[in-house]
Amino acid sequence: MKQHIREFIFNELIFVAEPEKFSDNDDLLEAGLDSMGIMRLIMHIEEQFSVTLPDSEIDPDNVKSFNALEQWILQHKA
Amino acid sequence: MSKATDDIIQILNPSDCFTLAMDEEIRQENMPGSQCGYALELASPPDPNAIQQRINEFGERFPLVFASLQQRGKRFFWCQRAQQHPLFHQHIASDKISKDDFHKQTALKLLNHRQDRETVPPIEFHLIQSASKNTFLMRWTHPFCDAKGADLILKYLCTEDAEQRLKFDLPRLEPLVNTQLAKYKWWQKIAMFIKAKRYISQMDTLQSVIHADTSKAPKQLNYHTYTLSPEQTQTINQNIRQQMGLTASSLYYVGCFMRALQRMNPEQEGDAYCAPYAFNLRRNKALSPLLSNHVAPLFAQAPKAILHDRPALFQHLNQQNTNTLRKQLDYAFLPVMWAASWLSLKQHGEKLRTSMRTGTERSSFWFSDIGQVDLSNTSFFNTDITRIYHLCQISSPPAIAFLSCQFNQQLTLSYNFIEPLFTEEWIAALHQNMLEELLLP
Repeated sequence: MKQHIREFIFNELIFVAEPEKFSDNDDLLEAGLDSMGIMRLIMHIEEQFSVTLPDSEIDPDNVKSFNALEQWILQHKA
Repeated sequence: MSKATDDIIQILNPSDCFTLAMDEEIRQENMPGSQCGYALELASPPDPNAIQQRINEFGERFPLVFASLQQRGKRFFWCQRAQQHPLFHQHIASDKISKDDFHKQTALKLLNHRQDRETVPPIEFHLIQSASKNTFLMRWTHPFCDAKGADLILKYLCTEDAEQRLKFDLPRLEPLVNTQLAKYKWWQKIAMFIKAKRYISQMDTLQSVIHADTSKAPKQLNYHTYTLSPEQTQTINQNIRQQMGLTASSLYYVGCFMRALQRMNPEQEGDAYCAPYAFNLRRNKALSPLLSNHVAPLFAQAPKAILHDRPALFQHLNQQNTNTLRKQLDYAFLPVMWAASWLSLKQHGEKLRTSMRTGTERSSFWFSDIGQVDLSNTSFFNTDITRIYHLCQISSPPAIAFLSCQFNQQLTLSYNFIEPLFTEEWIAALHQNMLEELLLP
């Protein structure tokens, strides 16, 4: 799951010179993930992983890193 | 290769055609076309020779800066010119002129300069200097690049390390509108086209509120800029986070601007405020593509009836944005832009601007939030940048554009308006309303 999200973010949303050096705990918001990017990411995750991520939970704590995103998705995965 | 095509450098992409249609609309009003400005105010005089050298290097690297925009048959192309024009100009004030007046008047002269589309330089750089003030102004025509591209050009100029400068515009990419379109099958494109048309048709059921005095003919662009304190900026950023959350931060400015306009005249005719804005197809922080336009349009619309209720307005704008993205209406505009690029400029402009139901102007105002300006450093040729603002020409109506950006923890608001459809006094009063709205808890 994390690998899939990594590919989507680095191919579609933000440019990182050396993605392999970007750790699962590095800050995605500082790396350039903006409001539009977050919405696109959520839609992509919902479609790919058949999960619904509530709008009320769209919070920096849930989207700040790959680890945070994984945790958030797993909380809502049946 | 035929004689008619051997000077062609490149064809305009569908997004360039979209901005070219607006250029034509502005020109039809006897105004200079879609000229834009990006200004850096500097703490001390920079070295003009060093700037000249960097700009020369930029011109060699991106020869399109010397191109001429020409129509061949139905399509438009960037073509080679017989002679290269100068890219860098200096404007030095005599002691007798007030410094602020000189800087603003020079910027206005440059943005209001009328020249044929075929001969106007796609981009120019101007150093405006008086005894105690220095402004570096980049002026460009919108079909040449979008605001993010302009941002990248300035970033290029500000990058001291020659190795780092080589990384700009690499890898060379196809226009992102075309790359995105190529991801869809033809029947998907048709479905997207229909979806976008339905969306516009739905939006056009409400007539837009226009505050410009349309009984007057457009004469010239004017602007007022205001830079807020770090404390005010911090308060506004907190408000944005609380009112709009993480996913629609720019719409806080749109909501506040709608309310500020409404307060100027609550009885103004119309059903709703409508603001077009562009979303960028580039990856954030990417240095490529640099030139051309890589954007698609979106709309924020709010019925007048909900404007008195701030939380309801922000919730409405937020929900509208979420729905737009969830229904993929943003990408749905790509085939519309592609199809429209085959129309005449007149037909294209008409489709962009006017309501399908009433035939009146769709936009209440133009809007662009550049966000946090991301230059390589906060200095420009070894002098500190103290302030940044943006400028743009606008079609009339709406004759007003609101542009915002943040730099060094300070928010700058730029009000661009066409005189005499708006006056300086009206804009000053509007700014007071806007400031109150932005700072309201």
